[in-house]
Amino acid sequence: MQIDLLYKPSHTLARAVLQPGEGVRAESGAMVGMSPSLALSTDGPMAGGGFFKKLKRAVLSGETFFTNTFTATRAPGEVLLAPPLCGDMCVHDVRPGERLVIQGSNYVASPDTIDVDTQFQGFRRFFSGQSLFFLTAAGRGQVLLNGFGAIEALDLGEPYPDGRGRLLDTDELVLDTGHLVALTEGLDYEVTTVKAGLIASYFSGEGFVLRVRGRGRVYVQTRNREAFGRDVGSALPAKQQ
Amino acid sequence: MNVEIEYGPAQSWMRVGLKPGDAIQAEAGAMVRHSPGVEIDTRLNSGRRAGLFRKVLVFFTALLRKFFGGETMFINEFTAPSGGEVVLAPVMSGTIQQRTLREGERLFVQTGSYLASTGDIDTQLRWGGLRALFGGEGLILLECAGNGELFINSYGGITAVDVEGSYIVDTGHIVAFDGALDFKVRAIGGIKATLFSGEGLVCEFNGRGKVYVQSRNFKALVGWVSRYLW
Repeated sequence: MQIDLLYKPSHTLARAVLQPGEGVRAESGAMVGMSPSLALSTDGPMAGGGFFKKLKRAVLSGETFFTNTFTATRAPGEVLLAPPLCGDMCVHDVRPGERLVIQGSNYVASPDTIDVDTQFQGFRRFFSGQSLFFLTAAGRGQVLLNGFGAIEALDLGEPYPDGRGRLLDTDELVLDTGHLVALTEGLDYEVTTVKAGLIASYFSGEGFVLRVRGRGRVYVQTRNREAFGRDVGSALPAKQQ
Repeated sequence: MNVEIEYGPAQSWMRVGLKPGDAIQAEAGAMVRHSPGVEIDTRLNSGRRAGLFRKVLVFFTALLRKFFGGETMFINEFTAPSGGEVVLAPVMSGTIQQRTLREGERLFVQTGSYLASTGDIDTQLRWGGLRALFGGEGLILLECAGNGELFINSYGGITAVDVEGSYIVDTGHIVAFDGALDFKVRAIGGIKATLFSGEGLVCEFNGRGKVYVQSRNFKALVGWVSRYLW
């Protein structure tokens, strides 16, 4: 599968070209256009791959309940994919044995050679207003991610093998949870308050942050979806009954 | 201090390299990431020389705004005793504009457009006076004065208009303007124009100075989205 990213960075569109036998699983609603030769199957929780795993993924991670799989059978074909909000997309090559931890709403698509699961983040996340669960991707192939805003590829400890990251000169990073797109699992991370006390954290407006340590790649988005939603949401008129 | 504005124009953020002794103050919630050595001090945005009454007033207003939305009036000061980096980003898609302020200069900034400032720049809300309140449109201004660098953000792109004489801007498109300018808020045209032109209130500037105008209007976005609520 070959993925090209078009119209970067604010309104990025991904074009995935599939060879016969290849399939790509995408968030429901992400499809913009597709070759007629591709076969589309919609996987609900009843489809193969384990009922509970899919149910868990849909209910717990904030990901959509149904996902679509596009498969090239006899002829090559392409599918165009886009996220709902303005912003960039990026492609992460999953290395053998590595797991990518993804914030649910930042996942767009991955080939069927990649296994997507959920991972519990601990109860502190419940209070942080973020999803309690992250998605994880493991296997062989490329994962397509979206960012609200532009995406920064940040390397901790050492340059990541794809050579596309910005290397930090420290092996630790404090990151607002709302700006996290994904990180490689070799990194240690914990959810914590930005300041010593809860009250100080509350007023600082930074609330909960991720403290990330070790070696690996972190993808950071330049805008915060929740902050945007709060600003627009609080300005909306009351709902009509 | 080394500041780099990246991912512009639409998705810009600012990456600030702090040396020991450097300090930058930023709108609460603007922090994206920082290195381990960075310290954060949260305080009320009541102005450095504010008296007790003003501090109390600002505190209660800040609490209300924290619960009901809008900018919070708390600001964070970032320092790095042994050096470090902090990245700051606005909420909306748009540009970050840097503006140097010198002693005696004042810039009025729409509250949602203040991102960060350095040096001894003092920021305080302008109270009372319908002049500052932009009646009906609820635009509250932050008065920035002092020596340092000011970073303002916009929804959309920013055009700096050099006003000589008179200039009219829709209040929803104002990012900031020089304190030297005289301004008054009014409806455009007659009552018919107010109701049917689609233009709300405008601000008329007079004198010499810069007006920073943004290419998108937050209220227009909210108005458009709210038609689809059900």
